[in-house]
Amino acid sequence: MEILARLAFVLYALVIMSGAIMAVAAKGLVRALVGLIAVMIGVAGMYLLMAAPFVAFMQVLIYVGGVSVLIFFAIMLTKVSPDGDESSPNSLRRTLNALVAMLAPGVILSVVILKYPPDTVPVPTEVGAFNLGKGMLGSYLLPFELISIILFVAMAGAVLVAWRKWGNK
Amino acid sequence: MSALTLYQLVALFLLSIGFFGLVWRRTLIGMVISIELMINGAGLSIVAAAQLTPANAVMGQLGTLFVMGLAAAEATLILAIVLIVVKRFKTPQAGEISEMKG
Repeated sequence: MEILARLAFVLYALVIMSGAIMAVAAKGLVRALVGLIAVMIGVAGMYLLMAAPFVAFMQVLIYVGGVSVLIFFAIMLTKVSPDGDESSPNSLRRTLNALVAMLAPGVILSVVILKYPPDTVPVPTEVGAFNLGKGMLGSYLLPFELISIILFVAMAGAVLVAWRKWGNK
Repeated sequence: MSALTLYQLVALFLLSIGFFGLVWRRTLIGMVISIELMINGAGLSIVAAAQLTPANAVMGQLGTLFVMGLAAAEATLILAIVLIVVKRFKTPQAGEISEMKG
Protein backbone atom coordinates (compact mmCIF):
# COMPACT_ATOMS: atom_id res chain seq x y z
CA MET A 1 0.00 0.00 0.00
CA GLU A 2 2.81 2.36 0.86
CA ILE A 3 4.43 1.85 -2.54
CA LEU A 4 1.09 2.30 -4.31
CA ALA A 5 0.48 5.57 -2.47
CA ARG A 6 3.93 6.83 -3.41
CA LEU A 7 3.38 5.86 -7.03
CA ALA A 8 0.05 7.68 -7.10
CA PHE A 9 1.65 10.75 -5.53
CA VAL A 10 4.41 10.81 -8.13
CA LEU A 11 1.85 10.38 -10.92
CA TYR A 12 -0.29 13.26 -9.66
CA ALA A 13 2.78 15.42 -9.10
CA LEU A 14 3.87 14.82 -12.69
CA VAL A 15 0.39 15.70 -13.97
CA ILE A 16 0.41 18.90 -11.88
CA MET A 17 3.90 19.97 -12.94
CA SER A 18 3.45 19.37 -16.65
CA GLY A 19 0.02 21.01 -16.55
CA ALA A 20 1.35 24.04 -14.70
CA ILE A 21 4.22 24.50 -17.14
CA MET A 22 1.77 24.18 -20.03
CA ALA A 23 -0.57 26.70 -18.38
CA VAL A 24 2.06 29.42 -18.12
CA ALA A 25 4.15 28.71 -21.20
CA ALA A 26 1.70 27.69 -23.95
CA LYS A 27 1.35 30.09 -26.86
CA GLY A 28 -2.38 29.76 -27.33
CA LEU A 29 -4.71 30.54 -24.47
CA VAL A 30 -6.90 27.49 -25.05
CA ARG A 31 -3.88 25.23 -24.60
CA ALA A 32 -3.01 27.12 -21.42
CA LEU A 33 -6.55 26.42 -20.23
CA VAL A 34 -6.09 22.71 -20.95
CA GLY A 35 -2.95 22.80 -18.81
CA LEU A 36 -4.91 24.49 -16.03
CA ILE A 37 -7.56 21.74 -16.18
CA ALA A 38 -4.80 19.12 -15.91
CA VAL A 39 -3.53 20.89 -12.79
CA MET A 40 -7.02 20.93 -11.27
CA ILE A 41 -7.50 17.21 -11.88
CA GLY A 42 -4.08 16.45 -10.41
CA VAL A 43 -4.91 18.49 -7.30
CA ALA A 44 -8.21 16.59 -6.99
CA GLY A 45 -6.23 13.34 -7.08
CA MET A 46 -4.00 14.63 -4.29
CA TYR A 47 -7.09 15.43 -2.21
CA LEU A 48 -8.18 11.81 -2.71
CA LEU A 49 -4.75 10.63 -1.56
CA MET A 50 -5.10 12.73 1.59
CA ALA A 51 -8.41 11.00 2.43
CA ALA A 52 -10.55 14.05 1.64
CA PRO A 53 -12.92 12.64 -1.01
CA PHE A 54 -15.59 15.33 -0.58
CA VAL A 55 -13.12 18.12 -1.27
CA ALA A 56 -11.83 16.19 -4.30
CA PHE A 57 -15.38 15.86 -5.60
CA MET A 58 -16.01 19.56 -5.09
CA GLN A 59 -12.73 20.39 -6.80
CA VAL A 60 -13.81 18.51 -9.91
CA LEU A 61 -17.32 19.96 -9.73
CA ILE A 62 -16.44 23.62 -9.14
CA TYR A 63 -13.09 24.06 -10.84
CA VAL A 64 -13.15 21.60 -13.72
CA GLY A 65 -16.87 22.02 -14.30
CA GLY A 66 -17.40 25.70 -13.50
CA VAL A 67 -14.38 27.95 -13.37
CA SER A 68 -12.70 26.46 -16.44
CA VAL A 69 -15.89 26.93 -18.47
CA LEU A 70 -16.03 30.55 -17.29
CA ILE A 71 -12.44 31.13 -18.40
CA PHE A 72 -13.23 29.46 -21.71
CA PHE A 73 -16.14 31.87 -22.19
CA ALA A 74 -13.78 34.74 -21.46
CA ILE A 75 -11.36 33.44 -24.09
CA MET A 76 -14.15 33.12 -26.65
CA LEU A 77 -15.68 36.53 -25.96
CA THR A 78 -12.44 38.49 -26.10
CA LYS A 79 -11.61 37.39 -29.66
CA VAL A 80 -8.06 36.19 -29.19
CA SER A 81 -6.16 35.51 -32.38
CA PRO A 82 -5.99 31.84 -33.39
CA ASP A 83 -2.19 31.62 -33.52
CA GLY A 84 -1.92 32.87 -29.97
CA ASP A 85 -1.63 36.32 -28.43
CA GLU A 86 1.60 35.42 -26.74
CA SER A 87 3.38 34.33 -29.91
CA SER A 88 5.67 37.36 -30.25
CA PRO A 89 8.83 36.93 -28.21
CA ASN A 90 8.73 38.31 -24.72
CA SER A 91 11.18 41.02 -23.70
CA LEU A 92 14.21 40.00 -21.67
CA ARG A 93 13.40 42.43 -18.88
CA ARG A 94 9.94 40.99 -18.42
CA THR A 95 11.35 37.45 -18.33
CA LEU A 96 13.89 38.46 -15.70
CA ASN A 97 11.16 40.11 -13.63
CA ALA A 98 9.07 36.96 -13.88
CA LEU A 99 11.99 34.78 -12.78
CA VAL A 100 12.55 37.01 -9.75
CA ALA A 101 8.84 36.87 -8.93
CA MET A 102 9.00 33.08 -9.15
CA LEU A 103 12.21 32.53 -7.22
CA ALA A 104 11.73 34.98 -4.34
CA PRO A 105 8.73 33.28 -2.68
CA GLY A 106 9.84 29.86 -3.93
CA VAL A 107 13.28 29.90 -2.32
CA ILE A 108 12.23 31.59 0.92
CA LEU A 109 9.19 29.40 1.55
CA SER A 110 10.91 26.16 0.54
CA VAL A 111 13.71 26.89 3.02
CA VAL A 112 11.06 27.44 5.70
CA ILE A 113 9.18 24.26 4.77
CA LEU A 114 12.31 22.08 4.69
CA LYS A 115 13.93 23.55 7.81
CA TYR A 116 10.96 23.59 10.18
CA PRO A 117 8.77 20.55 9.56
CA PRO A 118 5.79 20.41 11.94
CA ASP A 119 4.52 17.32 13.74
CA THR A 120 2.68 15.15 11.29
CA VAL A 121 0.42 12.14 11.46
CA PRO A 122 1.44 9.47 8.95
CA VAL A 123 -2.06 8.25 8.06
CA PRO A 124 -4.78 10.89 7.70
CA THR A 125 -8.22 10.17 9.11
CA GLU A 126 -11.20 10.69 6.88
CA VAL A 127 -13.92 13.07 8.03
CA GLY A 128 -17.01 12.29 6.03
CA ALA A 129 -19.45 14.61 4.38
CA PHE A 130 -21.67 14.18 7.45
CA ASN A 131 -19.13 15.85 9.75
CA LEU A 132 -18.44 18.54 7.17
CA GLY A 133 -22.13 19.37 6.97
CA LYS A 134 -22.41 19.48 10.74
CA GLY A 135 -19.46 21.85 10.87
CA MET A 136 -20.96 24.01 8.14
CA LEU A 137 -24.24 24.41 10.03
CA GLY A 138 -22.64 24.46 13.47
CA SER A 139 -19.36 26.13 14.38
CA TYR A 140 -18.73 27.61 10.94
CA LEU A 141 -22.19 28.94 10.17
CA LEU A 142 -21.10 32.55 9.77
CA PRO A 143 -18.53 31.95 6.99
CA PHE A 144 -21.03 29.67 5.30
CA GLU A 145 -23.62 32.44 5.21
CA LEU A 146 -21.05 35.04 4.20
CA ILE A 147 -19.89 32.98 1.23
CA SER A 148 -23.45 32.81 -0.04
CA ILE A 149 -23.73 36.60 0.20
CA ILE A 150 -20.41 36.98 -1.60
CA LEU A 151 -21.54 34.67 -4.40
CA PHE A 152 -24.79 36.57 -4.78
CA VAL A 153 -23.07 39.95 -4.82
CA ALA A 154 -20.50 38.73 -7.33
CA MET A 155 -23.15 37.40 -9.69
CA ALA A 156 -25.33 40.49 -9.41
CA GLY A 157 -22.30 42.73 -9.83
CA ALA A 158 -21.12 40.85 -12.90
CA VAL A 159 -24.53 41.13 -14.54
CA LEU A 160 -24.82 44.82 -13.65
CA VAL A 161 -21.33 45.73 -14.83
CA ALA A 162 -21.62 43.93 -18.17
CA TRP A 163 -25.22 44.99 -18.82
CA ARG A 164 -24.79 48.72 -18.18
CA LYS A 165 -21.89 48.94 -20.57
CA TRP A 166 -23.80 47.24 -23.33
CA GLY A 167 -26.91 49.26 -22.61
CA ASN A 168 -25.09 52.56 -23.20
CA LYS A 169 -24.00 51.60 -26.66
CA MET B 1 10.93 13.87 4.44
CA SER B 2 7.37 13.57 5.61
CA ALA B 3 4.31 13.40 3.39
CA LEU B 4 3.22 16.85 4.56
CA THR B 5 6.49 18.36 3.31
CA LEU B 6 6.00 16.77 -0.11
CA TYR B 7 2.47 18.13 -0.43
CA GLN B 8 3.61 21.58 0.72
CA LEU B 9 6.39 21.56 -1.85
CA VAL B 10 3.89 20.78 -4.64
CA ALA B 11 1.66 23.61 -3.40
CA LEU B 12 4.66 25.94 -3.28
CA PHE B 13 5.52 24.96 -6.86
CA LEU B 14 2.02 25.96 -7.93
CA LEU B 15 2.33 29.28 -6.08
CA SER B 16 5.67 30.23 -7.57
CA ILE B 17 4.83 29.19 -11.12
CA GLY B 18 1.61 31.17 -10.75
CA PHE B 19 3.67 34.23 -9.83
CA PHE B 20 5.88 33.60 -12.84
CA GLY B 21 2.89 33.44 -15.17
CA LEU B 22 1.28 36.50 -13.62
CA VAL B 23 4.31 38.62 -14.46
CA TRP B 24 5.25 36.91 -17.71
CA ARG B 25 1.88 36.74 -19.46
CA ARG B 26 0.75 39.67 -21.58
CA THR B 27 -2.95 38.93 -22.01
CA LEU B 28 -5.53 39.44 -19.29
CA ILE B 29 -6.88 35.91 -19.61
CA GLY B 30 -3.39 34.45 -19.25
CA MET B 31 -3.05 36.33 -15.97
CA VAL B 32 -6.39 34.92 -14.78
CA ILE B 33 -5.17 31.41 -15.53
CA SER B 34 -2.03 32.05 -13.46
CA ILE B 35 -4.13 33.31 -10.55
CA GLU B 36 -6.22 30.14 -10.67
CA LEU B 37 -2.99 28.13 -10.45
CA MET B 38 -2.06 29.98 -7.27
CA ILE B 39 -5.51 29.43 -5.74
CA ASN B 40 -5.25 25.70 -6.44
CA GLY B 41 -1.92 25.65 -4.66
CA ALA B 42 -3.46 27.43 -1.66
CA GLY B 43 -6.25 24.86 -1.41
CA LEU B 44 -3.79 21.99 -1.62
CA SER B 45 -1.67 23.51 1.12
CA ILE B 46 -4.64 24.08 3.43
CA VAL B 47 -5.99 20.54 3.07
CA ALA B 48 -2.52 19.03 3.54
CA ALA B 49 -1.97 21.04 6.70
CA ALA B 50 -5.37 20.00 8.04
CA GLN B 51 -5.27 16.32 7.16
CA LEU B 52 -1.67 15.42 7.96
CA THR B 53 -1.26 17.25 11.27
CA PRO B 54 -3.23 16.86 14.51
CA ALA B 55 -5.15 20.04 13.65
CA ASN B 56 -8.91 20.19 13.18
CA ALA B 57 -9.59 18.42 9.88
CA VAL B 58 -13.15 19.74 9.48
CA MET B 59 -11.92 23.32 9.70
CA GLY B 60 -9.28 22.77 7.04
CA GLN B 61 -11.58 21.08 4.57
CA LEU B 62 -14.28 23.72 5.07
CA GLY B 63 -11.62 26.40 4.56
CA THR B 64 -10.73 24.87 1.22
CA LEU B 65 -14.40 24.71 0.25
CA PHE B 66 -14.75 28.42 1.08
CA VAL B 67 -11.62 29.17 -0.96
CA MET B 68 -13.27 27.38 -3.89
CA GLY B 69 -16.42 29.47 -3.48
CA LEU B 70 -14.34 32.65 -3.41
CA ALA B 71 -12.50 31.52 -6.53
CA ALA B 72 -15.80 30.97 -8.33
CA ALA B 73 -17.03 34.45 -7.35
CA GLU B 74 -13.72 35.97 -8.37
CA ALA B 75 -13.79 34.23 -11.75
CA THR B 76 -17.31 35.56 -12.43
CA LEU B 77 -16.31 39.14 -11.64
CA ILE B 78 -13.07 38.89 -13.60
CA LEU B 79 -14.98 37.64 -16.63
CA ALA B 80 -17.26 40.70 -16.54
CA ILE B 81 -14.38 43.14 -15.99
CA VAL B 82 -12.27 41.61 -18.76
CA LEU B 83 -15.22 41.80 -21.14
CA ILE B 84 -15.72 45.51 -20.46
CA VAL B 85 -12.03 46.34 -20.69
CA VAL B 86 -11.62 44.46 -23.97
CA LYS B 87 -14.71 46.15 -25.42
CA ARG B 88 -13.45 49.56 -24.48
CA PHE B 89 -9.78 49.29 -25.40
CA LYS B 90 -10.27 46.84 -28.31
CA THR B 91 -7.32 44.70 -27.20
CA PRO B 92 -6.77 41.89 -24.69
CA GLN B 93 -3.11 42.85 -24.22
CA ALA B 94 -2.51 44.17 -20.73
CA GLY B 95 0.38 46.43 -21.76
CA GLU B 96 -1.70 48.50 -24.15
CA ILE B 97 -4.47 49.25 -21.68
CA SER B 98 -3.58 52.76 -20.61
CA GLU B 99 -5.27 56.10 -20.97
CA MET B 100 -2.49 58.41 -19.86
CA LYS B 101 -0.10 59.75 -22.45
CA GLY B 102 3.55 59.86 -21.59
